Amino acid sequence: MKLAFSQSNNPQRQKLIKGLHTEARVDTYVKSGNVPLLKEKDSSIKTLAQLHSAFQTAIELEHSTIPPYLVALYSIKDGTNQVATQIIRSVVIEEMLHMILAANILNAIGGEPKINAKNFIPAYPGSLPDSDKSFIINLEKFSKETIDTFLKIEKPAHTNAPPKAKGYHTIGQFYQALMLGLEYVNDHTEGGIFVTDPEKKKRQVTQEHYYGSGGEIVPVYTIKEARLAIEEIVGQGEGIDDTIDDSDEKLFGQGIEYAHYFRFNEILQERMYCEKDTPKSGPTGEKIVVEWDAVHNMKLNPKIKDYQGQPELHEQAKQFNQTYTALLDNIHHACNGEPEMLMKGVGLMYQLKYKAVELMNIPFGDTGEMAGPTFEFEQPKK
Amino acid sequence: MTIQRSEKDLFLEISVYLTGFDEAELQGTGMVNTYYQAVLSNNTQPDVAYFFEMVATILQQNEGNEDALNKAISIHLMPASAYSGMAMNIINMWYTGNWGQNVVSGQAYIQGLIWDAAEAHPPGAKQPGYGSWAIPPL
Amino acid sequence: MKTDNYDVVVVGSGIAGAVIAKTLTNAGKKVLLLEAGLQAGIALDPEESYKTYQGYLETFYEAGAKVPNSPYPDLKDAPSINILDIVKLQKSNTPSTVGYLVQKGPVPFASDCFRGPGGTTLHWLGTTLRMLPNDFKMKTVYNQNVDWPLTYDELKPYYEMAELEIGVSGDVEEQKYPDIPKDFFGKDYVFPMEKIPQSYLDKEIAKKTDKLKVTLNRKEYELSCISTPQGRNSTPNEDYKYGSIVWDPSKKKLALKTQPKTYNPDGSLWDPYTGQRCEGNASCVPICPVQAKYNALKTLKKATLENLEVITQAVASKINTDDHSGEVTGIEYKIYKHKGSPEYTTATATGTIYVLAASAIENAKILLASNVGNTSDQVGRNLMDHLVLLTWGLTKEKIYPYRGPGSTTNIPTFRDGAFRSEHAAWISPLDNWGWSWPTFSPGSDVTNALNEGVFGKALRNRMNDLVTRQFLLHFEVEQSPDAGNRVTIDPQYLDAIKNYRPVISYGVSEYNLKAFEASKTVSDQIFAANGIEDHTVYNPVTDADYVTYKGQGYTFRGAGHIVGTHRMGFTKDDSVVDKNQRSWEHPNLYLVGCGNMPTLGTSNPTLTMTALTFQAAENILKQLEQ
Repeated sequence: MKLAFSQSNNPQRQKLIKGLHTEARVDTYVKSGNVPLLKEKDSSIKTLAQLHSAFQTAIELEHSTIPPYLVALYSIKDGTNQVATQIIRSVVIEEMLHMILAANILNAIGGEPKINAKNFIPAYPGSLPDSDKSFIINLEKFSKETIDTFLKIEKPAHTNAPPKAKGYHTIGQFYQALMLGLEYVNDHTEGGIFVTDPEKKKRQVTQEHYYGSGGEIVPVYTIKEARLAIEEIVGQGEGIDDTIDDSDEKLFGQGIEYAHYFRFNEILQERMYCEKDTPKSGPTGEKIVVEWDAVHNMKLNPKIKDYQGQPELHEQAKQFNQTYTALLDNIHHACNGEPEMLMKGVGLMYQLKYKAVELMNIPFGDTGEMAGPTFEFEQPKK
Repeated sequence: MTIQRSEKDLFLEISVYLTGFDEAELQGTGMVNTYYQAVLSNNTQPDVAYFFEMVATILQQNEGNEDALNKAISIHLMPASAYSGMAMNIINMWYTGNWGQNVVSGQAYIQGLIWDAAEAHPPGAKQPGYGSWAIPPL
Repeated sequence: MKTDNYDVVVVGSGIAGAVIAKTLTNAGKKVLLLEAGLQAGIALDPEESYKTYQGYLETFYEAGAKVPNSPYPDLKDAPSINILDIVKLQKSNTPSTVGYLVQKGPVPFASDCFRGPGGTTLHWLGTTLRMLPNDFKMKTVYNQNVDWPLTYDELKPYYEMAELEIGVSGDVEEQKYPDIPKDFFGKDYVFPMEKIPQSYLDKEIAKKTDKLKVTLNRKEYELSCISTPQGRNSTPNEDYKYGSIVWDPSKKKLALKTQPKTYNPDGSLWDPYTGQRCEGNASCVPICPVQAKYNALKTLKKATLENLEVITQAVASKINTDDHSGEVTGIEYKIYKHKGSPEYTTATATGTIYVLAASAIENAKILLASNVGNTSDQVGRNLMDHLVLLTWGLTKEKIYPYRGPGSTTNIPTFRDGAFRSEHAAWISPLDNWGWSWPTFSPGSDVTNALNEGVFGKALRNRMNDLVTRQFLLHFEVEQSPDAGNRVTIDPQYLDAIKNYRPVISYGVSEYNLKAFEASKTVSDQIFAANGIEDHTVYNPVTDADYVTYKGQGYTFRGAGHIVGTHRMGFTKDDSVVDKNQRSWEHPNLYLVGCGNMPTLGTSNPTLTMTALTFQAAENILKQLEQ
């Protein structure tokens, strides 16, 4: 058995990112002057206000994946499912990175990320924000079905899928639309849309506060870094379409850091990718031990009101939500001019785990099921 | 009418009063089963039976009156001479993960309540994250 | 790599051995490394290293007494010293034979180390202070102890190498020690990473301790509280420019090589993203679960593996020499088949140059067992440690100990000064882990409360009130070299595979006892200024290292700083090795490690020893390329 976690931050990853069509599309639609086509394909983002709103959605979209990933991660019993744990953990950290990257772009174009509001938190079950609602996301313990949903979340965009900021089918489509919008509005605004005020530039979160997984925080000052940031998000997330079968490029194997979609697929298939694999072939490398039963039997989509009959449990769940809300508040401030707050958020993140696992140890009535974290807005006690 | 409670239920209920942690907090450690088994395996069967008989009695007699219950625990459970010091051992187990000098399990060490009481965490586990020590506990 | 033709044979894979193996193999030399510990522990690949390390961690969780060696295998074939075996010596002529050491006293040697892959860096605390310039010339400046044949300035470039190798986090600006020159650190020098955040406790205590004026022997001193540099990961310092240490064959020197990228903290052996920051496990000793703290296996992993052969479960027992030339011709070692096996086979490792890096006590033992390199009669002598006087008490407000690395702040005020003509110097680290060391808190606090009949909410409240206010202060006193404090061997004391057990004679000189008295005076003034209720108890009946001076009793503890058993010096009559760390008598034998240090100073010795080892590696490369 080879462990997945031997991967390191590797320039090879850039290969995957380059395989994306974001840049190509922008070139085709915008740089080649093919404006009518652009309008036809995506007329959704034409103003700065629309861009602000779209990147706020991007932050919400990145965040919306975190509670379900965390629930699956924490539901795995201690000391089991080593590889699966490591994979999900690294993906969650990278999703947080993506959230920060989206916030960096929003700050770079004069927006103000809103992260500590009640409506920031999605309801589960639910769909990805502004998506085509083609699948449902639950707060659900680690299982094959859960990982299957994760694959849907991270599914690569089909080569021919159009950019779409609203009603998108894949996250890739969404970001393509945002990239197009950025290029379009920037090109059509005198002096561009990127802030030049040094005070506003200080709102960027920089790399020094990020560690623990692949990728890096790109501070965004121009369209160039914005593009890099989006490439980072999309490349790390979904990777390339499985209809692409580019035999020249080595996409898998040791030392190559591949996208979330493929990492989740390794768990589902209980196998690692190896060097000769392609997106089409799926993983054919060494077997991974996945103990699907070594999981806390957490109730599906728990809500705090479900716990009203168990006041002590209710209190614990409330404390979890307070920690979670405090964490969002912390990230909000970090993305609104106090980047150093991120270090203080680390403690909250660890607390979240311990409190979640405690909840999963508490029986939910006599149902045979266990309680779990509900991820709802709860103002912390002052 | 009182419902006949199992020894394990009684164990959890009396543990609340012995440790000062509520039921959800104790369950949250995930250790209830392990510790109940440790009580059974570290004591003689008669001691266990008499102990839980007394527990059932004092819980019932003092229901709703915490002061009276505490007094009863003090008199009937806490002395080292009572049930081979079972109550003291149970508290020590919840707080430190040890039965006497023996570590019940690695997980028992990690779940020791003493760390929670001390607003800390077990050394080597449940780490609070980079820089957390520079500010008071969350 | 399999060959009979090694350039260098190294004994031991602790930090000294690992630095030698890495530096030499990177320079293209063929190295054979003999390691006494178990095969599993040497694993450097993700899968196996993870498995082994999780095994250590689980053993630690399950250990009744979580002492420094508790996570690691204790082998009959290559025993480690265990501090649980340090017992009070009876006033008779029979030494204590409890555990691995044979202790003749008058007081027991109080420190342990780990014999196994990675050595004691697996459970070191990680403090990385440099020694002070005057530490190298104690005889000249204070007419005490001895001078080193090296100066601080000569060692300085190698300190920088050691700080890269270990990955030091610290703030150079805050490193203000008594009597140091302006250029103590080079111009614009920074550590690879920003300082480890100082604990909440540190900041609370510093409020009334930093700039506190204390009186000692009618002289006034102003205390300072400064951050402590340490070998654990924090935020990379963007101004740090070095990336590696390379051998320059044309200049015949080791040099720090710059790199354009920002320093990247070395994560764990199994995952580069784990351990990129200290996560506050508060268990640096005995084990850092995420390997954010440096250990020697990280260095070994950077060796050029095709030039390195490692044989584990191989206990070096004897050095063979050519009577005529004095050259070492081979090192005999015993291979045991599996843990605890009394059966072994003997083999001989041969190479051009030989390096002992087996720890101060083991190095001395091997030399004595071989009757090699001891014309000076200094082998095994001058055994030293920091004598740790602890004082503890309760603060008025909660300071929340048991969080963060063991120590993040120290009081450097008494590290140097004119008083060193009279009594030993010391450093005072503020301890972040409550009373755990002297009283086994908080477990013992629970026991005490239960014995008083306290239970329920009262117990929970008592623990909250008591444990959150526990403060512990160290006075780590520099032990002076004393010829009578020594390691010897005796055929009647052998281990399971018939190697010698170290026989230790050990005591404390008046120069050190005076420092205890002085320390306690300073402690009293710090406690008074902070309103700390003193709970210090030195127990004459139960404390193994209880000593008295002027009618007052003091208990000292070991710091795990085992130093001085094969000192370097100026002539073959006063020392075991020369300033190149080469045996005076055997031109192809180098000794490395803390055993070379003529004096201890007030810094934890690992950093200095690592600097010395880089220098030794350079000397070895020079000799090989002559």
